[in-house]
Amino acid sequence: MTQRPDTSASHPAATEKTARFDMEVLVGYILLGGVLLSMALVVAGLAWRWLATGHVSLDYSIAGMNLFEFMLTDIRQAAAHAVRPRLLINLGIAVLMLTPYVRVLASMLYFAFVEHNGKYTLFTGFVFSVLTYSLFLQ
Amino acid sequence: MPFALIFLISIVAGFVGAMSGMGGGVVLIPALTFLGLDIKHAIAVSIVSVIATSSGSASAYVRDRITNLKVGMFLEMFTIVGALVGAAITLVSAQRPLFLVFGAVLLGSWAALFAERHQTWQPEERQDAFSKWLELHGSYHDQATRETVEYRGTRAYLAGPLMFGAGMIAGLLGIGAGALKVLIHDLVMKLPPKVSTTTSNLIIGVTALAGTSVYLAAGLIHPGLAAPVILGVLVGAFVGTRVLVRLTNQTVRRFFQVILAVLGIEMIVRGIRGV
Repeated sequence: MTQRPDTSASHPAATEKTARFDMEVLVGYILLGGVLLSMALVVAGLAWRWLATGHVSLDYSIAGMNLFEFMLTDIRQAAAHAVRPRLLINLGIAVLMLTPYVRVLASMLYFAFVEHNGKYTLFTGFVFSVLTYSLFLQ
Repeated sequence: MPFALIFLISIVAGFVGAMSGMGGGVVLIPALTFLGLDIKHAIAVSIVSVIATSSGSASAYVRDRITNLKVGMFLEMFTIVGALVGAAITLVSAQRPLFLVFGAVLLGSWAALFAERHQTWQPEERQDAFSKWLELHGSYHDQATRETVEYRGTRAYLAGPLMFGAGMIAGLLGIGAGALKVLIHDLVMKLPPKVSTTTSNLIIGVTALAGTSVYLAAGLIHPGLAAPVILGVLVGAFVGTRVLVRLTNQTVRRFFQVILAVLGIEMIVRGIRGV
């Protein structure tokens, strides 16, 4: 007798848990994948530098530019077959910076299209807009 | 500065940061400036490494379903704006005030770590209308006690503006400012300690990105310096977290926290003396 209300009460919670599970797995793997890819690129760049020159010191700076200009410069160099260790390191830093950015974008899309939560779509949309603005700073 | 030295310092910074619960930046910045690096460059390189450590550990906590994503995403709106303002202030600031503020924040966070450990968490029975509207409630399974802990976050109207301040300090000094964020979660929002620490970790990554973009645009990020720092801090934090899991002795944690207090005093003294 007491089991019926129990079962019906646990249903919404179970559904909610499944929905939360998806969102959390999505965010968790974006963060993990981003950090691992970024570290792999930096390590590969340093290893290449070491194999080519016998040392890993890199002394160069990048003139003030935003992330997209920074990535565009790198991609142009890669397209011109000028792949160098520093290109990999630059890409590693760019991927690292894109990791939380992509996480916010994915959360926004999830809130909008899966959870249909207008409030949080708006909140994450605001965070995404401010980050986009900051990444375009000159 | 030699690669090996920077790498080694970054490992130590990541390790001590994880052991003390305050993050790598608070050790890294004093150490790099001690070796002669300009404090603004040290801040800029540190904040890039904060993205790495925060995202690395947040990925595990989020998948363990302890982090409250809604609390995190609501508060991020405030911290990122704060971080942009803080980083912009650093760009125009002189060196000495940065040393003084760094030392003061370090000592303040250190005091906060000590003060809050005496408190035991009690679930909040009442939730204000605004926090309820924001859906700031949740539950998680505590593996140690094997219980499901239910909680309600409160006073979001106050936590938001306070988080702007925490974000500003993060952007200004190139640190995660985790201790301050945890304090707001604990004292204002009444979140359970585990939720408060892991949610703070999630917010730190996005906040650090906002700060990093300002420093990148200002040309303060040197990839040659950033590469060993990011790798070193991440390795140190990884090892530190593993060691910490095995350590039950509070005295060891206290020892690392005392190191941070000494660093805070040292930064203030250097600020007063004129670096």
